[in-house]
Amino acid sequence: MTASDLARRRFAAVALPHLDAAYSLAKSLAGNGADAEDIVQEACLRALAALETQQVEKPRAWMLTITRNVALTFLSRRAPPSPADIGDLERDGRLSAAEPGPDAETRLIAADEGAALRGALAELPLALRETLLMRAVHGLSYRDIAVATAAPVGTVMSRLARARAALAQALGAKK
Amino acid sequence: MTEADEKALRLQAALDGELDAAGMLAFERACAEDPALAAEFARMASLEEALRRAAPIEPAPAHLRARMAALGAPPRQRPWLFSAPPPALAASLLLGALLGYGGGLLRPAQPQDERALVSAFMRTQIGGQSVDVATSDRHVVKPWLASRAPLAVAAVDLASAGFPLIGGRVEALDGRIAPTLVYRRREHRIEVTELPLSGGAGETIATSRLDGYHVARWSDFDRSYVAVTDLPETELADFVAAFRAAVAAEREEPRAK
Repeated sequence: MTASDLARRRFAAVALPHLDAAYSLAKSLAGNGADAEDIVQEACLRALAALETQQVEKPRAWMLTITRNVALTFLSRRAPPSPADIGDLERDGRLSAAEPGPDAETRLIAADEGAALRGALAELPLALRETLLMRAVHGLSYRDIAVATAAPVGTVMSRLARARAALAQALGAKK
Repeated sequence: MTEADEKALRLQAALDGELDAAGMLAFERACAEDPALAAEFARMASLEEALRRAAPIEPAPAHLRARMAALGAPPRQRPWLFSAPPPALAASLLLGALLGYGGGLLRPAQPQDERALVSAFMRTQIGGQSVDVATSDRHVVKPWLASRAPLAVAAVDLASAGFPLIGGRVEALDGRIAPTLVYRRREHRIEVTELPLSGGAGETIATSRLDGYHVARWSDFDRSYVAVTDLPETELADFVAAFRAAVAAEREEPRAK
């Protein structure tokens, strides 16, 4: 079906302004730019189709939600998710004690804080990574993230705390 | 959850701007009394800053942006539509127009929608089941429809204008879910179906008569509406006027439930 004029107009107003955000999130989740482009393209097609019949209140959160969902489908097709991605890591319920990554100590010495952060971010389980990115980089509220990731707000909060604790630890910031 | 966890989550909520004014005030007071908390907050804030610097939003590649922008651009006018087409093209054009009509490609004029809605009206009149959710409370009808239909429904209360709401249902039109509101006047019914906008929004109300029923079609904001009723045409016009006024008033309201 070709898109109606209305859907095209909505798409231009709602989706296109957040293309950079969608691309950045897709790239962080997929780990590379080429896959991110495929993901964004698919997300845009879905957005256009949805806009035939839908009005959007929070365009950025909406666009990122679609992108995230496409990315997750994409990743599940690419490779079976690792146990760390599936597990919520919430068994012990503690928020401050993240396991140090295998080369956390090496990173401790790394002069470049940015590189260390990016490395630590890439090693975060997907559920923690997407939550932290949506909050810290894309500025979504807890509630919007809860909707986007289909998780309760309490889970969003504890994931954020664990993600940040892991990054802080990787940076060697001692309490 | 331990007390330490709770404290950590509160600090994080403060960092994320998720505390309300009272909560923020309490948190600032706590920081003033507890230097360790204040230091932890500063440390978290600087980590956040570092993270934003390390993983900024990066621009999408130009070719990707161009391709996606094309999705939102209006389709290019085909020049042969305006010049005399070669005979073969003219034939395929004609065929296309015929097929397009049957396949619903010619969206703006949609008598088939109206016909289907009149059929639905007749069916419910005979079958007696006109609503899936029977209530005069629009605060019940609206979320009920919203959870089933892709459009946000304008469930307005017209009891004061003499058209009490009796409920809502969903229609399937040409493969799309169309939320329908049912109003009553005396022993008659008016069924309003909300459709995606077709044609431009305008002031015009098109009325017609189909199988003895009166049909009105109009567009407001970004929706089209079709009303079907067994009421006389003058009363349908009253209804449409009341409905449009109520929808417009609801739009004016600040976003409140």
